[in-house]
Amino acid sequence: MFRTVLKREILHNLYSLRFLISLGLLVTVFAAGAVSFVRSQAAALEKYRATRGEFFQTMRARASQGATELAVRRQTFTLKPRANGFLGDAKERYLPNAIVYSAWNVFGFENRSGSANPFLRKFDELSWTYITALIVSFIALLFTFDAVSGEKETKTLALSLANAVSRGTLLAAKLASAVLAVMAMVLAGALTSLVIVVALGPEGVSAALAGEVLGYLAAASLLAATFAAFGLLASVASRGSNVSLLLALSFWLAFAVVIPNSSTYLAKNLFPIDSSETVEKNVAAAFDDLNKNAPPGSWMMNSGNPFLPQHELRADLQMKRMLAEKGIRDASVRSMFRQFERTRFATALSPVSLFEDLGEAVSGGGYLRFRKAWADMHVYQKQFLAFFKALDAADKASPHWFNPHENVSTTRLPVAFEKVPQFEERPMSFADRAGPAAKYLLINVFVLAAVYFLAFVLFVRYDVR
Amino acid sequence: MIGTLVKKEFLTNLVAPRFIIVFVLCLVLIPFSVLINISGYRERVAQYRIDRDAAEKAAAEVRVFSAVRPEIVLPPEPLSIFGKGISDQVGHRVPIRLGEKPLLAEGKTAAGDNPFLASFFAVDFVDIAAIVFSLLALLFSYDAFSREKEDGTLKLQLANTLGRSTVLAGKLLGILATLLPVLVFSFALSGLLILFARDLAFAAGDWGRIVLLFAASLVYLAVFVFIGLVVSTRAKSSVTSLVVCLFLWVLLVFIVPAVAANFAESFVGVQSRDNLDRVLRDIDKQREETVSAAFRAQGIPEGWNCWWCSSGEDGYMETYGNPRDGFETFRRRAAISEPIRLDYADRKWAPAKAYADSLARQARAADRLSFASPTGLFRAVAAAVCRTDLAAHERLMDRTRRYRETFVGWLRGKDIFASYRWITSADPATFKTTDELIERRTGGEFKSERDFDAWAAKQPDFRTRWLKLSQVKVPGENPDDYPYLDVSDRPRFEAPPGSLLSGLEPSVVWLGLMLVEAVILFAVGYVGFIRYDVR
Repeated sequence: MFRTVLKREILHNLYSLRFLISLGLLVTVFAAGAVSFVRSQAAALEKYRATRGEFFQTMRARASQGATELAVRRQTFTLKPRANGFLGDAKERYLPNAIVYSAWNVFGFENRSGSANPFLRKFDELSWTYITALIVSFIALLFTFDAVSGEKETKTLALSLANAVSRGTLLAAKLASAVLAVMAMVLAGALTSLVIVVALGPEGVSAALAGEVLGYLAAASLLAATFAAFGLLASVASRGSNVSLLLALSFWLAFAVVIPNSSTYLAKNLFPIDSSETVEKNVAAAFDDLNKNAPPGSWMMNSGNPFLPQHELRADLQMKRMLAEKGIRDASVRSMFRQFERTRFATALSPVSLFEDLGEAVSGGGYLRFRKAWADMHVYQKQFLAFFKALDAADKASPHWFNPHENVSTTRLPVAFEKVPQFEERPMSFADRAGPAAKYLLINVFVLAAVYFLAFVLFVRYDVR
Repeated sequence: MIGTLVKKEFLTNLVAPRFIIVFVLCLVLIPFSVLINISGYRERVAQYRIDRDAAEKAAAEVRVFSAVRPEIVLPPEPLSIFGKGISDQVGHRVPIRLGEKPLLAEGKTAAGDNPFLASFFAVDFVDIAAIVFSLLALLFSYDAFSREKEDGTLKLQLANTLGRSTVLAGKLLGILATLLPVLVFSFALSGLLILFARDLAFAAGDWGRIVLLFAASLVYLAVFVFIGLVVSTRAKSSVTSLVVCLFLWVLLVFIVPAVAANFAESFVGVQSRDNLDRVLRDIDKQREETVSAAFRAQGIPEGWNCWWCSSGEDGYMETYGNPRDGFETFRRRAAISEPIRLDYADRKWAPAKAYADSLARQARAADRLSFASPTGLFRAVAAAVCRTDLAAHERLMDRTRRYRETFVGWLRGKDIFASYRWITSADPATFKTTDELIERRTGGEFKSERDFDAWAAKQPDFRTRWLKLSQVKVPGENPDDYPYLDVSDRPRFEAPPGSLLSGLEPSVVWLGLMLVEAVILFAVGYVGFIRYDVR
């Protein structure tokens, strides 16, 4: 019985005007997004290669000047533009994308100037995730808002229920058919996009992409189902299709516009963190304190003589300064991570926000990617330091007074650049993505179940006449 | 007769559930956006005060002219509560330097203290208005005729001695009578929220601009009413009309602006910032070479030696306790290097400007492309009205560059680069010779540099030399011995007064475009209704 009803519902959807318009709209937007991605990715890669080339040139020059020079000078590692950005850009343009480090410390991060144009109002890239979050959610609502109230108005609902069809079956068929119709359109759009990216893209596609596309499709069907359920809820909560439409639109505005856009406000008011002025003040105070208690002569400098006794005092002072600053800054960074994650969790109230977070996990980008690179960089920094210390230990002409900021009291021998360990960003593994994704999935499934159950209860009590 | 029609339309709309829902939607969304943006504005004001006080303090606590580097802190725009435009992403601090002209403003953006928050977006009144008013207009016009046709009342109406024009006029006026109160209510509510917010003061000109924003919203609303009208006269049933209208809404309000920004970003490239930095570094290197060559030509030694000195970026140099010829060398160095620095700032401007222009070109392209939708036009007009668009920012940055010229003129007027006041607070009349200094510092133990050097050469530890010279503390050899410099006559940056109509010239064209769109749509709708089969 379910299959008969489902078939009828699917045919009803396929022949409808809204299906044709939605299909045209989605395929066009997917295609526009792919073309735009291909162009901007090529430009971003070109800039990235230039920056990376310069990075290696500088590093090579420093290595030939001396191992200490290479170890103590700050370097900036820039994240590569992601090849699967068309799947979900995860707003990477606005996120920090470069990590500043030396052998002694991972200092912080920056948003490489130029990755976003400050004169251009913030905008969403037309990635699959964004198109789905905005348009597919809307279309899913549009397919279901009059599923019950509309049929009541055309009097076919009473007729349907006069057959041996349970209300549960009817509602489930309506939900399933809407999801299937929407997903058929998404599939068409995604295929168009894939063809364009593969044919014109500056890079080949990786094997992992197949899994990512499947993950995306699964997440998109969940979003479609959630909004279809909201549409059904709107439909059974009112007597006329007019009112259901307004209810559905209100849901959509709340989830797609209001909640995601109140994130900054929520973050600052619910989860405040120390201002950057406070952090700077704390660092300055710590420095003052250390300088005051430093033995006299600590700042005396003579780069010509590595064994000048004051170098040991200063190395000790500089090390203490670095550790004090690191403690304050690392705590500040942790508070930023916490604020960001809590805000995300607060906005998970909206299925659209949830889907965007899910999209980020599926495509392995954005904040998750940065967090991983940040953690990996700390591991690498320890290796780099161990490598440097081994070099220094082998040098008899070095006093071995470790100073994280200066190049006077440790080895001055040059080092072959090829031997220096380099930081490589590791790709996001399945586990890296599955962890956060599972959390979002769980919430989403719960929301879907709750909304559908509510719609079911209301439908059972619905007066179909 | 038309009065009766309008009244009928108005009452029909008023009792419809959609009126209540839409009204509630406005009641929730408008205060939501205004309150969030008032809070954002307060935050910017607080930050402005912190930055301004810090800049004032830094500018006042200097002892030499080479340290005088004013920093302009731009006050936040009160109208950004309505439309924030690009105001919260461009920064508000502009340090004035000798070595370069101001290019981009610095300072905290909307993300505040956490750069990760930059990936969250925020809406303002204008965004909400663009979304809700268009929806409102379509919801009340999509079934203007199709519904009445379905109900059979349209036939009935036209069976009377009524011209179709009269019926159409009655419909439109009826819709207007329904929507206008919602619009007025939204603006009044926002106005009240601002009036009753503590520590918020709008000037008369600002209120005037809000009235302009209201006028623009009215035109925007009209465009969408006419879109609904056209669809309504073409569609076979009201359901079709509704579906078409909703898709048009998503297309015009959300998709067209997004596609415009994406295409502008992909097809109108910007220059690489890293590349600009490289070019500027190279010019700086050339400057250093020019300066070195000039030093050599004047016989000034490369390295320098001082008793107490502190130097920093952009030519800051402060020194005390030197012998007379030491001070003289520092003075001659600055007299040569600083005018060269100013010349090179002019050279650095060309590539810097080319970079900023490429950023502006991309942003303008995004705007122009978004004009394919009335929403794009409305946003552009609104940002101009709220003085938060790119043009307003560029005008401010132009002012900061003019201020820099004034500041440089002020320095030149004092002929300060060739003066000792550029590098030290010490009075030239008190300068001593090396021999005098050694005698005073060693408490008379050595009478001349030669005696001292002869003694120092015999010391095994070179630190003894330093310790010997530090035996007697001589006043005036340390910056703390001097008061701060009086630079109260330094030129001040004046933020431009917000006049009612300034900077609105391009928006007149855009508003005109919206009006033309409205007229064309109306004409199409009118013809469509005249030919409409009412049966």
